[in-house]
Amino acid sequence: MASNSVGDIPFITSAGAEAGPASIPASNNGISSEPGKQKNPRRPLRRLNPGIILPLLAGVIFLVLWEYQVFHRIFDLKKYQLPLPSAIAEAMRDNFSLLLSYTGYTLTEAVLGMLIGSACGFLIALAATAWPRWGGGSLTMVAALNAVPIVALAPIMNLWFGDGIGSRAAIVTATTMAAMAINAYKGMAAVDPLALDLMHSYAAGKPAVFRYLRIQNSLPYVFTALKINATASMIGAIVGEFFFSSRGLGYLLSNSIKVAKMPLGWSCIVLAAIAGVIFYLVVERLEKVFIKWHPSQRA
Amino acid sequence: MSLVATKIPEIQLESVEMRYKTETADVLALHQVSLDIAKGEFVSLLGPSGCGKTTLLRLMADLITPTAGNIMVAGKTAKEARLAQKYGIVFQSPVLYDWRKVKHNITLPLELMGVKKSVREDKALELLDLVGLQGFADKYPWQLSGGMQQRVAIARALSMEPEILLMDEPFSALDEFTRERLNEELLSVWSKVQSTIVFVTHSIPESIFLSDRVFVLSPHPGRLSAIVDIPLPRPRTAEMRNSPEFFELIARIRDSFEGV
Amino acid sequence: MKQNSAFMRERVLPLFVWIFGLLVVWEAVSWWLLNVAKTPLAQSKLPYVHEVAATLWKYSGTLLKEGGATFGNAGVGFLIGALAGVILAVLMSLSKTIEQLAFPYAIASQMIPILGLAPIIYGIVRDEQVSRIIISGYITFFPVALNMLRGLRSVDLSALELMHSYAAKPWAVYWKLRFPAALPGLFSGLKIAAPLAVTGAILVELMGAQHGIGVIMLRNLYYGPSHTYMFWSTVLVGALLGMASYWLMSLAERLVAPWQPEFRPKGGNR
Repeated sequence: MASNSVGDIPFITSAGAEAGPASIPASNNGISSEPGKQKNPRRPLRRLNPGIILPLLAGVIFLVLWEYQVFHRIFDLKKYQLPLPSAIAEAMRDNFSLLLSYTGYTLTEAVLGMLIGSACGFLIALAATAWPRWGGGSLTMVAALNAVPIVALAPIMNLWFGDGIGSRAAIVTATTMAAMAINAYKGMAAVDPLALDLMHSYAAGKPAVFRYLRIQNSLPYVFTALKINATASMIGAIVGEFFFSSRGLGYLLSNSIKVAKMPLGWSCIVLAAIAGVIFYLVVERLEKVFIKWHPSQRA
Repeated sequence: MSLVATKIPEIQLESVEMRYKTETADVLALHQVSLDIAKGEFVSLLGPSGCGKTTLLRLMADLITPTAGNIMVAGKTAKEARLAQKYGIVFQSPVLYDWRKVKHNITLPLELMGVKKSVREDKALELLDLVGLQGFADKYPWQLSGGMQQRVAIARALSMEPEILLMDEPFSALDEFTRERLNEELLSVWSKVQSTIVFVTHSIPESIFLSDRVFVLSPHPGRLSAIVDIPLPRPRTAEMRNSPEFFELIARIRDSFEGV
Repeated sequence: MKQNSAFMRERVLPLFVWIFGLLVVWEAVSWWLLNVAKTPLAQSKLPYVHEVAATLWKYSGTLLKEGGATFGNAGVGFLIGALAGVILAVLMSLSKTIEQLAFPYAIASQMIPILGLAPIIYGIVRDEQVSRIIISGYITFFPVALNMLRGLRSVDLSALELMHSYAAKPWAVYWKLRFPAALPGLFSGLKIAAPLAVTGAILVELMGAQHGIGVIMLRNLYYGPSHTYMFWSTVLVGALLGMASYWLMSLAERLVAPWQPEFRPKGGNR
C-alpha cells in the first residue's frame, strides 16, 4: 500500500528534495534540506535527523491514513471524490509518457514567460531608478497589475495571442513582471550612499554607476524575485491552461476533473509540484553560483 | 542623603565562574570572581572588550547562570531577586518598543506588575520630568534622538523603583558631549532614587566620574584584577573632570591594566 | 524614502499622468485596430475605453452584486485561513517539534502551484460557496503562517532579555512583545495572500458555479463579440477586486501597525 505510493521518493531525494505524494492536501511536498543547510552548514548530519525524519514520518503516516480511507470516513468522502494514493500512483504509471510530455510543455511556458517577465520587470526597475520622477509611476502600475487575478488575464491573453504556448507565456510574463520590478528597484535604490559618493568622486557618469554599483547591488534582490517568480510562473502557466489550452498539465488536470478521472487529475498536481520544486531549486542553485559574495551565502 | 557604602552587601559574588562551550572550543569567560557590592553603592565594571564585564552583569541579572560559584542578591539568589522584580536593566541600545509611545514604553514594567493605569500615567510623567524629557510623553521612540532614547530607557528601568539598576554600557553609542551630560544627569537621578547601580563601561573617565568603586577586569580569562576606590566627594560636578585628583585616578587605573 | 515629504508632488502627479496616458493610448490603439488595421474581432481584443466605462456604469448593479458574492466568499476564506495561519505560526514558535513537523511543508507549499488545487477541491466539495471559502482559506494559510512566524522570530534578543528581567510571564511576552513585533510580518503575509484569495475564488467560479464575477465573465466570453464590453467590464471588476483586497490590507496595516519605518514622515530623527 504505502510502498506503492511512495515509490518515487528515492529519485527525488537524490535531486536534493524529498517528496512524498500528498501529505497535506497539496498532494506533494518537496522538502529541500534547507533548514539543516541554513542553520548549521557544518554539521548537516546532526541536524538532519529530527528536521528531516520527523516531517518525513508525518508525511508517510498521512499517506497511510489516506490509503486506509481514514479521511474518507471522517469527512464522509467517496473514493471517486478523493482517490487513494495507490490509485494516483497507478494513474501516473499508466500515463507516464503523456504526463512527462505535458510537464515539459507547461514548464516551457513557465520558463519562457518567467524569463520575459523578469527581463521586463528588470528594465522597469532600471527606468524607475534612472528617472525616479516619471519612472516611479510605472512601478506603481506594475504593482497594480500584480493584484489582477490571473484568471482575468487568461481570456484576454487568449484573444491576443491565440491558444498556443504564446498566450500562457504572456500570462506568466504579466504575473512575474511586478515581483521583479519591485525587488530589483529596491536593490538598486538600497545602495550605500557612501558608495555613491565614491563613484561621484571618480566622476563616474550615470551608466557607470549602474554598471559598477546599482546592478551589482540589486543581484540578491533579483534572485529573491526569481525565486518568487519560479513558483508564480508555474501557477500562471497551469491556471492559464485551465481554459483555452489543448495541452499541458493544467489542461489535463481540469479535463480529468470534468470527466471524473480523479486519479489522473491528482497525478497532474503531483507532477506540477515536482516540476515547481525542481524549478525553484534550479534558481536557488544559480543564486549560489552568481552571488557568492553576498553575506546570505556565507557559511 | 548619605551615599556611603554600608556594611550589608546588596550583591555578593563568590568564586563565580562562567564557561561557554562553542563548537570549536571551551571558553573561560570569567574565572574565580568574588566581590561584594553594598546597598546604595554606585560601582563600575571596567575593562577592555572580552574581559567578561558584560557577562558579569548578565550573571547578576540572572540572564545567564554561572557554571560555578554563588551569586546572592539582597539575601536571595539572583533568580529569586529577578522574580521579585528587584532589577532595572539598561542595555547598550535603548531597546524601546517601536509601537509604544514614550510614556507607554516607560510604564511597560508597571503594566507587567499589574499597576493601575492612572497610577502608571502619573509615574510616567514624573519619570519623564526626572530624566528631563517633559513634553515627550506622546512621541514615538523614533521621533527622539539617540541620547533621548537612552534617557527613556533609564526612565523605564526606574519606573518599577528597582533596588538594583544594572547598566550595560548605556552611553557607549553616544557622542562624547552627550555622554558627559548624561553622566551628570544619571548621578542626579541616582541621588534621588538611591538604588544600587552596577555600571559596565570601557571608559576610564566615565567609570571614575560616576562610581564609588571601580572593579577593573582583565581578559583571557576574564577576572577581577583590581578594585579602585574613588574618593572624589559627592555631589560630583563637571569641573571635577579637570581636577588633579581625577587625572591621578585615571593614571592609577591605567597602571593597574599595565600591571596585568 | 527621502522624497517622502514631497510625495504628493513627486509621486501622485506622475501617477495620474501615467494612468491618463495609458487610457489615451488604449483608446487610440482600440480605434486603430478597428478602423485602420481592421483586425478581426478588434473590439474583443481591445475595446473602446468609453464603451467599457459605459457598460460598467450601466450594469454596475449586477457587477457589484456578483463581485460582492466573490469578494464575500474570498473574504470569509481569507479570514479563516489567516486565523489558522496565525495559530500555526504561534504553535511553531512555541514548539520545536511542531516547527520541525510543519515548517518544511509550509516552505514546500510555497514552491508548488497551489492554485492548481482549485478544480480538485471543487471536485471534492461540489459546493461553490464552500469551495470558494476553502480555496481562499488554503491559499491564505501558508503565506500568513510563514510571514507571521518570521515576525515572531524577528524579536530583538535584548527586548526578550528585558522581559526576562521583569520576570514577565510567557503570555505577557507574547502579548506585549512578540505579537506587536510580528504585526509587520503578519501584514506582509496578508498583503501577499489577499489578491491570491480573490484569484482563487474567481477560479473556483470558472469551474462551474452559479454566482460570482467569474461566472458572468465566462458567460459573456462565450456569448461572443456582442458581449465584449460586458466581458471586459467583468475583467476590470475582477482586477479591481484583487487591488481592493490589497489596498484593504494596506489600510488595515496603517491603522493597526502605524509605527513602521515606511509610514514615518520625513524629519524623524535617525
